Amino acid sequence: MKKVLFKYPLITSFIIAFLLSNVCIAQENDVSNYRMGFNLTTVKQPDNSRLLEVSFIATNKKDRKDKIPISNAEIKFFNILNEEEVLLGAVNTSNEGIAQLTLPENQNYLIDDDGTINLTALFEGSNAIDEETAEISIKDLHIELNLTEIDSVKTVSVSAFTINKLGEKIPAEEIEISFYIQAMLSKMKIEEGTINDGSYEFTFPSDIPGDINGNLLVYAMVVDHDEYWNVTQNKNIKWGIFHSHSIKEKNSLWSAIAPLWMYSVLTIMLVGVWANYVYTIINLVKIKKEGDELKLKI
Amino acid sequence: MDFNQRKRELVKEFSPMLEKSSLVSKLWYFVLIAIISVGIYAFYLQFINGHKVTGMRDNVVWGIYIINFIFFVGISYSGAFITGVLHFFNGSWKYSIARIIKIITVLSLIVGPIFILLCIGRLDRLHYLFIYPRIQSPITWDIIAIMTDLIGCFIYLYLTFIPDFAILRDTTDLKVPNWQKNVYRVLAIGYQDTTSQRKRLHKITEIMSVMIIAMAVVAYTVLAWIFSLTLQPGWNSTIFAPYFIIAGLYSGVGVIIITMYLIRTSFKLEKYIRKIHFIGAGIVLLIISLLFGYFTFSEYFSKWFSHKTNDVELLETLFSHYFWEFIFANYIGVLVPIIILFFKKLRTIKSVTFAAVIAVLGLWLNRYLIVIPTLETPYIPIQDTRPEFIFYTASWIEYALSFAGIAAFILMFKLIMKFVPIIPISGIIDQERFEEKRIKNLGEQNK
Repeated sequence: MKKVLFKYPLITSFIIAFLLSNVCIAQENDVSNYRMGFNLTTVKQPDNSRLLEVSFIATNKKDRKDKIPISNAEIKFFNILNEEEVLLGAVNTSNEGIAQLTLPENQNYLIDDDGTINLTALFEGSNAIDEETAEISIKDLHIELNLTEIDSVKTVSVSAFTINKLGEKIPAEEIEISFYIQAMLSKMKIEEGTINDGSYEFTFPSDIPGDINGNLLVYAMVVDHDEYWNVTQNKNIKWGIFHSHSIKEKNSLWSAIAPLWMYSVLTIMLVGVWANYVYTIINLVKIKKEGDELKLKI
Repeated sequence: MDFNQRKRELVKEFSPMLEKSSLVSKLWYFVLIAIISVGIYAFYLQFINGHKVTGMRDNVVWGIYIINFIFFVGISYSGAFITGVLHFFNGSWKYSIARIIKIITVLSLIVGPIFILLCIGRLDRLHYLFIYPRIQSPITWDIIAIMTDLIGCFIYLYLTFIPDFAILRDTTDLKVPNWQKNVYRVLAIGYQDTTSQRKRLHKITEIMSVMIIAMAVVAYTVLAWIFSLTLQPGWNSTIFAPYFIIAGLYSGVGVIIITMYLIRTSFKLEKYIRKIHFIGAGIVLLIISLLFGYFTFSEYFSKWFSHKTNDVELLETLFSHYFWEFIFANYIGVLVPIIILFFKKLRTIKSVTFAAVIAVLGLWLNRYLIVIPTLETPYIPIQDTRPEFIFYTASWIEYALSFAGIAAFILMFKLIMKFVPIIPISGIIDQERFEEKRIKNLGEQNK
């Protein structure tokens, strides 16, 4: 074997180079060079369901731009109260390293005396990656979005509250809220303010175009709140103004109607030529007439 | 001179061309009809299967059909131009070739546009061009120009035929079928060659001859603009319109010389189509070949010198993939006619005709090199596609239809020659009448 290797130095050097390169790549991709990012977040959606989302992404310790999503990792979601632990569901991460679990509106949570829900996401670990866990504590905020016309003024109002154990509505305080319109590619912010005494109200702008039927989708959103995290509510309303672009088209080379000089030049040329044809035919008729008269004389 | 007697003599002289068909002539008809039949079959295949039976594809959307179109229309416009100019010359020599040129003009303008129809993938949508015309488009201008020009050329040709129709109508001993005599009678529209009729006809013919010169320049300019108003490399050129006119004249004069030679030898018309006609046409061809060479050089030199990326790519394609075609079109096709026609000793009937053949072939290839290589080197690089989609090769269908077009042109020419004398009798009479008047005037002055 040794003889063979020495006999073909080129092939041998290729094999060595190939093996070394594999070792190098293996070292570069070693999991110890990466820091695991395991984050849990939640969004209360317009239909009052709750979305739990884990993002599981490894970031290179030396190069933060080098990020590798951990895919196909089983994530378990728990609702914990003291020693009690309820498994809400288990979901595998996607190719982007995202695991999402949607809990219905009527989900029964373990809630403490303060009205707080403790949620935990758990990755139990594998041969290469250690166990990861993330916890969040949230309070269930209810947002009611009302779009009404008060004395012909289009008014947007929200009421935000929590519900205590007795089922009483407790108005929310000091919550930053933003309002958006769904545009073609993203949401357009139209208003932001703070909810005090459980409500916020503003006059809807009168110059926002909707779709062809004047429909608009209005969003009220609480984003990254310490207690309530993300809460979204939306409603469709026919408040849009449809702008029909009835701009009068100018005569130009690229419009449907040509420049006036083009019509003029073409008309003059064609009329000139065809008038000559007509003149020729008239003369031919005269020649024929003269010939006929001559024939009669003969 | 008794001009009526002279008319009868001339009719007698030309009557064999109208009355009889020789065996060779009949064989010609058979061959031409056979070629046209193959062309009709090729068209049927193209109509049923679409353009996939041709070499035209996504990138090279124009093939030899458009080249034939430009070529034939160029011949027509140059014919119209030359015939219009000839009208203002005096001398018996012009009558010998004037009718040949007029017939070439009209027939080219009938055959040429058929090729543009073959380029259209969806012929069933042809009427959209008329229903939804876009007046800013050079293609719309071209349609208007061709149609107007065709009608103008028909009228002009007809005007020059009227006196001959009248002579043929009045000649009782002409042995042609009765239907043909009836057609002569109808088309002669009661022309009796009176002074007032002659004056009137001369006046409208003169106006029409000026008009068709102008129309030829306008229409061929518009055809050049179909290319030069686009931004394609090789086409977007300010000199394209005059270049096309010169090229059209070059091919037109070439075809006229070839036709003159074929008619002279076939019908033994040495008395009428003389060496002087070939020398004269040869000198015109020499001047136009110098102009054409100058324009060609200027066109390619400015492209090479400006060094724009796409122009350079186009020139590289021309000097690699199309090397021999380029050499033939722009060197042999220009220099050989110049050399032959420049030296007086070389100006014989056969050599002038040979120079014309080289010029016509070179010009056809020049049109090919204007259209195809440009389409093969577009601005956006062609990627991930098959070689047959990038490079154009004409299929047998395209060749069959091209030859069918040429055969149709020759067949129609032969049929017209069977119907009216190729040398206008009325022209000879007019010239003799003019000479008699001149001599009479000279005599009166001497008295």
